[in-house]
Amino acid sequence: MNSAPVPATPARVPTDWRTQAMQRRLKRRYAAERRFRLLGLGAIVLSAAFLVYLLATMLGSGIQGFQRTEVRLPIDFAALELPVTREQLSGRGADLALASAGLEEQVSVAAVKAFGEGADDWIAGNAWTTVRDAVKADPSLLKRKAVIAVPASAEIDGAARGSGRPEAEAAYAKLAEADAVKSGFNWGFLTRADATDPGAVGIWGALKGSLLTMLVTLLIAFPVGVLTAIYLEEYAVKNRWTDLIEVSINNLAAVPSIIFGLLGLAVFLGTFHLPRSAPIVGGMTLALMIMPVIVIAGRNAIKAVPPSIRDAALGIGASRIQVVFHHVLPLALPGILTGTIIGMARALGETAPLLMIGMRAFIAQAPDGLTDPATVLPVQIFLWSDEVSRGFVEKTSAAILVLLLFLLAMNGLAIYLRNKFETRW
Amino acid sequence: MNPYALLFLVAGLGLIGWLTARARAVRFAGGPERPHSLPSQHGTYVALWVVVPTLIFLAVWAVIEPQIVAASVLADPAANALPPFGFERDSILDEARALANGHAYGAFFPLSEQLAPLFAAAEHRYRWIATGIAVLLAFAGGAYALSRLAPAFRARQRVERTMMLTLLVASLIAILTTLGIFVSLLFESARFFAVVPVTDFLFGLHWSPQVIPANDPGSVLGAVPLFWGTFFIGAVIAMIVAIPFGLMSAIYLTQYAAPAVRRWMKPILEILAGVPTVVYGYFAALTVGPAIRDVAVMLGMTYASSESALAAGLVMGVMIIPFVSSMADDSIAAVPTAMRDGSLAMGATTSETISRVLLPAALPGVVAGVLLAVSRAIGETMIVVMAASGAATITLNPFESATTVTKQIVDLLTGEAEFDSPKTLAAFALGLTLFVITFLLNIVALRVVKRYREAYE
Repeated sequence: MNSAPVPATPARVPTDWRTQAMQRRLKRRYAAERRFRLLGLGAIVLSAAFLVYLLATMLGSGIQGFQRTEVRLPIDFAALELPVTREQLSGRGADLALASAGLEEQVSVAAVKAFGEGADDWIAGNAWTTVRDAVKADPSLLKRKAVIAVPASAEIDGAARGSGRPEAEAAYAKLAEADAVKSGFNWGFLTRADATDPGAVGIWGALKGSLLTMLVTLLIAFPVGVLTAIYLEEYAVKNRWTDLIEVSINNLAAVPSIIFGLLGLAVFLGTFHLPRSAPIVGGMTLALMIMPVIVIAGRNAIKAVPPSIRDAALGIGASRIQVVFHHVLPLALPGILTGTIIGMARALGETAPLLMIGMRAFIAQAPDGLTDPATVLPVQIFLWSDEVSRGFVEKTSAAILVLLLFLLAMNGLAIYLRNKFETRW
Repeated sequence: MNPYALLFLVAGLGLIGWLTARARAVRFAGGPERPHSLPSQHGTYVALWVVVPTLIFLAVWAVIEPQIVAASVLADPAANALPPFGFERDSILDEARALANGHAYGAFFPLSEQLAPLFAAAEHRYRWIATGIAVLLAFAGGAYALSRLAPAFRARQRVERTMMLTLLVASLIAILTTLGIFVSLLFESARFFAVVPVTDFLFGLHWSPQVIPANDPGSVLGAVPLFWGTFFIGAVIAMIVAIPFGLMSAIYLTQYAAPAVRRWMKPILEILAGVPTVVYGYFAALTVGPAIRDVAVMLGMTYASSESALAAGLVMGVMIIPFVSSMADDSIAAVPTAMRDGSLAMGATTSETISRVLLPAALPGVVAGVLLAVSRAIGETMIVVMAASGAATITLNPFESATTVTKQIVDLLTGEAEFDSPKTLAAFALGLTLFVITFLLNIVALRVVKRYREAYE
């Protein structure tokens, strides 16, 4: 029995806040408080600064991507006597006919003739396609002389911005002296498709591919998502099946997007043999990806509709389907739409799953249908980012600006809808 | 008739059916007997009978039509000139089909030019046959449905039962997708593991799939360097950025910021999450990567790479900030105010209250948020595809290159079309691993959140 004596609790002395020790301690605590607060502010400011820096970088080089230098190239078509007939020019084979007539070499020859030795390097590699399109649009050109503005090569384009190599600078000066160059807003960037030369590229092909893909995505994901939300929220009895559906949806929302690409590759391409690189496959893949987003948003919106509305409708004899489709759904629609737009914005910016299903091919034409080979805006950005040449850096940033603009517009619309239709019951 | 026009035609017929049935129902609504269903329900009943069987037929037809067309072309004497089965035969047939559809701009094989008109004719013929059958079906369905309309006919029950069925089918798609992902990944992975032993794949230390030796493919397909790279970039470097920044942002916004600041800063942070990952990747590859290499060179590292683990991880961390901050925001807000007020009333400063009271109470939620963020980071593809290197190394030095599972999946599947090379199948095995890991992380996170939420309710 040798229990240690319990130490006596010291008598509690009231804290004297005026002692120096206490004052110091208080000061230290307040300093810690200020530090902590500043740390929080710093975290936010740094995060926002990163965003601003990112946007400023894109804007800075993207703006340049919207400008391009053109060379006014005089060509004497009458003297060339290209072996092409009028009928060939009106049909589908016009491109092929003009190409096999040697237009490409003739354009280079014309450049040399107009500006001297080596001038064929001053125009873009596929400048002849501009000439080709001009001839296709106006076959009477073939009988006369004409001056056609073709894209300048990346070198000349760089020189026009004051960042070219000395030879290019000299060439540019020579062209400028002959009044044969002009710089301007690159409308073609918005109307053309991909090309190998940065001077001749455009984003219309990718944009159209994106729009077609989004169309498929919307047509599949919206109805399926909304119907699922209705079923789960209004009808499903709690049992193992609905639990399974619910768990599936929650997990699908968090599955990495590239897995959906693998699914699309294995199922749509591998099993059903749908066409590669087609908007329809891309759209279906993305639809599966964003469907859970729509379901979750839809369920929240439906949940927010007060039960009294359902009871009132049921009370005057509406069937359950009528209650949902005539009363609950219209009231929940703004919320569902907001969720859908956010999901669509996510799909619009998505790249990885589309790489999996082969939407990374070089495609120089805008797709005409849902089964044509196509590329989409983010993939186009990815493809261009691989090109090291200087001109593509600006084009990539310009494409990024267009993509961000679209996303901003969609998110703005979502916020507007949310604010406009926000109801409090 | 082209497919879109056909769909419009079917929709139009459906509309006509709806209008006709509704008009008839309106007529007997004025009669002596009180009708059971509303006129619009009768209309929908007929429209369903017009549209649904036709659409089912068209869907089936879309699958079998290419075979029928090909068979009828091959039956033609001109097809005897085709080479026997093999690659050339397939490409001739493909080209002929493309020529017939106007997708091709010129013929490479002379024979395909001969076959193209046959294809065009056969397609034309079978299109019209399909159109005929579709219209016939639409009319038959419509006529049958119209003949059943009567005041006592219970159209409403039938329409509503169809609607319920549609709802159920729609919600099953989620399960089917999950199942589809799992089965397709499992199936392809099983084929991969038939060639490469599971142990080689899961524990092998060497990854270089550029050239796969046929006798021992497992020797170059050891995925440990990928797992390490993924963990290092996604769970270590990215989280070193995302957790302090996200957490401090959330704390500042919930505890200190004026309402106006909060109203502005929250959406700005959310923009960070909305920027497409390809843009982050571009930024990481073009701006951050070279800058980090310069820093590394300044620190005296000779083999500094611009494709460092640090570049990818840093940018990914920034992308993840809003996820961490919004999860932390939610769980801090869920702590009862009484606890906060109690602490403040005892004389603690705000920062002491946060670190001693709020954060411990909110910890499960914060942890769940971090787990979800990790799952997001290791599944993230584009940033690492563009900013990380393809070289699989096991390193602790963030300035060195590292590669991830997602980057390798993209690399393996680029340009390859056939489904049986070990290269393609390896991508599916990696996909399966990724799916399982993220799935587990999500389940754990959701569990934690659920448990924690119940604690205060």
